[in-house]
Amino acid sequence: MRRVSLVFVLVAAVIAGACGSAGGGGTTTGNSYSGKTIKLGAVLSITGAGGVYGPQSRDGMMLAVTEINKSGGVNGAQIALTVKDDASDKAQSAQVAQTMIQGDQDMALLGPTLSNSAVAVHPLAESLKTPILAVSTTGINIVPNCNFPNATPCRYVFRDSLGEQTAIPDNIQSYAADAHPTTGVLLVAQDDKFSSDGGKIVQDTVAANSINLLKTIKFNKAEPDLSPYVTQAVQLHPDVIFITSLGGIPAKIMTEARKQGWQGQFLGGNGFNTATVSKNAGAAGLGARSGSAWYLGNSFPSNADFVTSFKAAYGHDPDQFAAQGYAGIKIIADAAKRANLTFTDLAGDRDKLRSAMESVNIQTPLGPFQFTSQHDVKQTVWIIKMDGQGGFTLVHEIKPS
Amino acid sequence: MGQQILNAIFIGSIYALFAVGYTLVFGVLDILNLAHSAVFMLAAAVTYTLVVNHGQSFWLACALGIVVAALMGLVIEYVCLRPLRRRQAPPIAALISTIGLALIIVAAIEQGRPGTLFAWLWVDGANPVTMPPSTFPNPTWHVAGLTLEGSKLAIIPISIALMLLLGYVMRFTQVGRGLRAVAENPRAARLMGIDVDRMISLTLIISSALGGLAGILFGVALGDISPYIGRDSVEVRGLAVIVLGGMGSIPGAVLGGYLLGLIEVLAVVLLGSNVRAGVAFAALFLMLVLRPQGLFGAQLREKV
Repeated sequence: MRRVSLVFVLVAAVIAGACGSAGGGGTTTGNSYSGKTIKLGAVLSITGAGGVYGPQSRDGMMLAVTEINKSGGVNGAQIALTVKDDASDKAQSAQVAQTMIQGDQDMALLGPTLSNSAVAVHPLAESLKTPILAVSTTGINIVPNCNFPNATPCRYVFRDSLGEQTAIPDNIQSYAADAHPTTGVLLVAQDDKFSSDGGKIVQDTVAANSINLLKTIKFNKAEPDLSPYVTQAVQLHPDVIFITSLGGIPAKIMTEARKQGWQGQFLGGNGFNTATVSKNAGAAGLGARSGSAWYLGNSFPSNADFVTSFKAAYGHDPDQFAAQGYAGIKIIADAAKRANLTFTDLAGDRDKLRSAMESVNIQTPLGPFQFTSQHDVKQTVWIIKMDGQGGFTLVHEIKPS
Repeated sequence: MGQQILNAIFIGSIYALFAVGYTLVFGVLDILNLAHSAVFMLAAAVTYTLVVNHGQSFWLACALGIVVAALMGLVIEYVCLRPLRRRQAPPIAALISTIGLALIIVAAIEQGRPGTLFAWLWVDGANPVTMPPSTFPNPTWHVAGLTLEGSKLAIIPISIALMLLLGYVMRFTQVGRGLRAVAENPRAARLMGIDVDRMISLTLIISSALGGLAGILFGVALGDISPYIGRDSVEVRGLAVIVLGGMGSIPGAVLGGYLLGLIEVLAVVLLGSNVRAGVAFAALFLMLVLRPQGLFGAQLREKV
């Protein structure tokens, strides 16, 4: 066959964001909220690696907006929520956020879905003095030090998602108390912040729980086949395999490890807490435990009502991400109600909303909700395990200390 | 170590099957068909949807998945390649048009959710899904400490048989001679009475069917079907394999596929898990420096 010399082609796509200038908040008619609109923007990963979580957050948020607007809005003002996809890409996430803050003139933002994108979006919102509420980011240095390694606390960044720094240690500790495992292997995706942060937390926690970490096996998310890594882990015969990764990867690891005959316990983080993972893992996931911010079966009214209306609206059960998205809108609505917004001075309104968010104290599907002084969530950790059929059952309830 | 060698052979077979389709188009047309990875993904997605959402049998779904892939080959030819060839556009233009088609296919799948335009094709959006274990036969044996899984074992004879068949067709049949004639010199082939456009269409059909089959085997055996399996898992590796094997060489692509699988797995076992991709591409780089024509490629020569 004919040969030609190789041509190496480098295609670089540069996406430049353009910021239009939309009108502000309306005419001055005193302090009344009636007839006004509270514009919110959500930067979510609808496609890409975070596409497992973003659509759930979006559905939860949309449900909350519909409920609030139907029941008279926020003191008479309607909430208008725009959701934009960041394709799980850090640069696109920042670009979308900037458009929402400066172009669309949204009063506050929610998101982004991934911790990896938050490191770009949160400092931007902070510098533009716009409140932003993270609803699914669980990595380290999200709040309060969004400008890490700069330690100055960020004033405009909040999160209602339970950090892995709380959830993973609680999960390991409770399993250690139940079953006294002595050895473990950690499988960690090294190429995103959420997963590698989770890995660090596991490494820092195991010793205190008398578990000897035999090996840390790192891999990249886009590996086509994880079998070589799983084989390595299984051949060490650990009592526990820790998995810190997201998307479909935890399910792939569980399935492969069970096929290779390993019988031990899977422990993980937030990456386990969605029905997609439990469903994909199927019987291989049975008993896999994680610390969750939310549990479907909780019967207190703020959760039972949420679950009922979510099912009525979408035809399937919500998951933790939907609950956190829903709670996020309720939190901002509660703050907006108390913030004395003017709807004429956007910068001033953003500041008022920020202050009001600090004193939120409401019932949500996550349980009673307050922010800590560091703008992090203060809530119960629900230790859950996969039921082998796409769902979860509750194992323990750990109250905030 | 035995299990790891098996792991290498399984993934190597997928790489080989995928790369054979890639290299076939390059050999005949001198064009890199970058929509190949999207066809890989589409066939897996179609198969999954037919089984899980439309209740079809697994075998029928696989057959239809391959048919859809083959038809996509025709789409690639009629939409991305032929119009450009008519205008004698440079190969780079075809490269871009196939990237465009790949983006469209991936975007169509990832938009597929219940109630949307593409819901008949895919309802899981960006979510990865797994073929339910009850829908296809997958016996698993444990022999001498090794785990042998039916769905992965099947990949090896299927891949080898198809690649041998393709080798036979290319070498000993009228169609194969026609394809090689087009590869050698399209104008001379046309003067000899060969229908060049038909040959090119045929190349795309065969190539895409092989890519689609690779996608189905990948999705089923590795339990991973999502809009991104082509783009993230095999696209760049497929390129690596055909460079390793020699651009346009079918035996080269086969050997290159197994070699890349082996290099990747050995990197994990011997050097540590976090260097896998690095080692594989270092090997590729070495190959380019030491033997730019690849394992089976002829000497590169400048055309005047």
